[in-house]
Amino acid sequence: MIAGGCCNSVIGSAELAPARDTEVMAKARPIPGLSAQMRYSDAATATIAVRSEELFDHAAGVLDVTNIEAVHAMRVATRRLRSVLEFYEPCLDRDQLKPILKQVCDLADVLGQRRDPDVEIQALQGFAAAATDGERPGIERFIARTSEQQQQANAELAEMLARIESDDLRGALAALIAPTAPPTPPLPSTAGQPNEPGATTPPELPEDQSTTAKSGWLRRR
Amino acid sequence: MKARKVKHLDPDGTLADNAQRVVSVRLDELFDFVPAVLDPKSVKKLHAMRIAAKRLRYVLEVAAANCFGPYALTATKRVRELQDLLGEIHDCDIQLPRVQRIRVELSDEAVAELRTRAAGAADLDPALASGLPHSEDWAGLAALEHYLTVRRGLLYDQFTTVWRDIERSAMRARLEYAIAERPSIGGEQAESSVTIR
Repeated sequence: MIAGGCCNSVIGSAELAPARDTEVMAKARPIPGLSAQMRYSDAATATIAVRSEELFDHAAGVLDVTNIEAVHAMRVATRRLRSVLEFYEPCLDRDQLKPILKQVCDLADVLGQRRDPDVEIQALQGFAAAATDGERPGIERFIARTSEQQQQANAELAEMLARIESDDLRGALAALIAPTAPPTPPLPSTAGQPNEPGATTPPELPEDQSTTAKSGWLRRR
Repeated sequence: MKARKVKHLDPDGTLADNAQRVVSVRLDELFDFVPAVLDPKSVKKLHAMRIAAKRLRYVLEVAAANCFGPYALTATKRVRELQDLLGEIHDCDIQLPRVQRIRVELSDEAVAELRTRAAGAADLDPALASGLPHSEDWAGLAALEHYLTVRRGLLYDQFTTVWRDIERSAMRARLEYAIAERPSIGGEQAESSVTIR
């Protein structure tokens, strides 16, 4: 199931995917059209769409313990998605968001549990290479313990990825930001507006836009 | 550590004004760990500070380039460096007890084996203590423990230096100023309408 190769699969050909360039993976993708004066709720849609896509794109190859950068990249993508979900929380439907956020947090935890031994083993191998022959067995014993943790964490990660797939996290994220109205135009500059929280003057929107903006997935405060 | 609730967020407001409120709260969260983290033994606080730095960093990553003044990007970099350094310290704080636990475990096994060898004896023959299980492991585990202890100390020293630099460079005040700036529109720098309470 995990390496099923289905086009809708969360991780696709996870075990067969080649390693990617770390630097490219670690960099967050730009959000098209994001601007200071953009409505917060429109920014939520644009940002979550890109960060969700990043997460699933980085799922390839994560179960390969010899390619530790794949887990790192997916973990970073998960953290980024989590942080934008939290950042845009006031713009999202709370009932829809709650299970998604829980699953993303659980995924982040499981990826962290795999990443920690990955990094530790790499550092310990460097330490062992610099050690004397007399010191090496003890270090290798510690590496063996850490490798057991890595295998256990990998099994948990495989389970988590399967759960994400069966629960259709991708679909839930798409539904969370599914537009019921076209994006609203940028708001006018706030310069010179009264300096009070929440005092930003709502823009004069055409009737159809101001009406549609109040419906659908936006949660009003 | 749970993130502090950010008040007065408005889905109808601009991204920049809302991001300003979030960054302001996350910045306070980060700086509130001082002076507690200036004690090198404050392991939990250092870990919590790393989480706070991470929260601030990710909000800045969303908003710094598009919403705020130019210093926000510099601050993003500083926060990332701080988070990385705190992460390295945390790794030592996790690994060191694990190495110590393995040493205790192996030592207990060696002692148990020696007790078995000495079964029924009134006193212990020194020769029985030779060639006990895991004796080949001690040197490496001790080296690792010493390495992690000293590395943790050096990293903590780096942390105090980095933090001092952050304070000397007035990062907090400059970031507070930058998040109230808005990217120039038609050649003029706009300002925020937000007052942080």
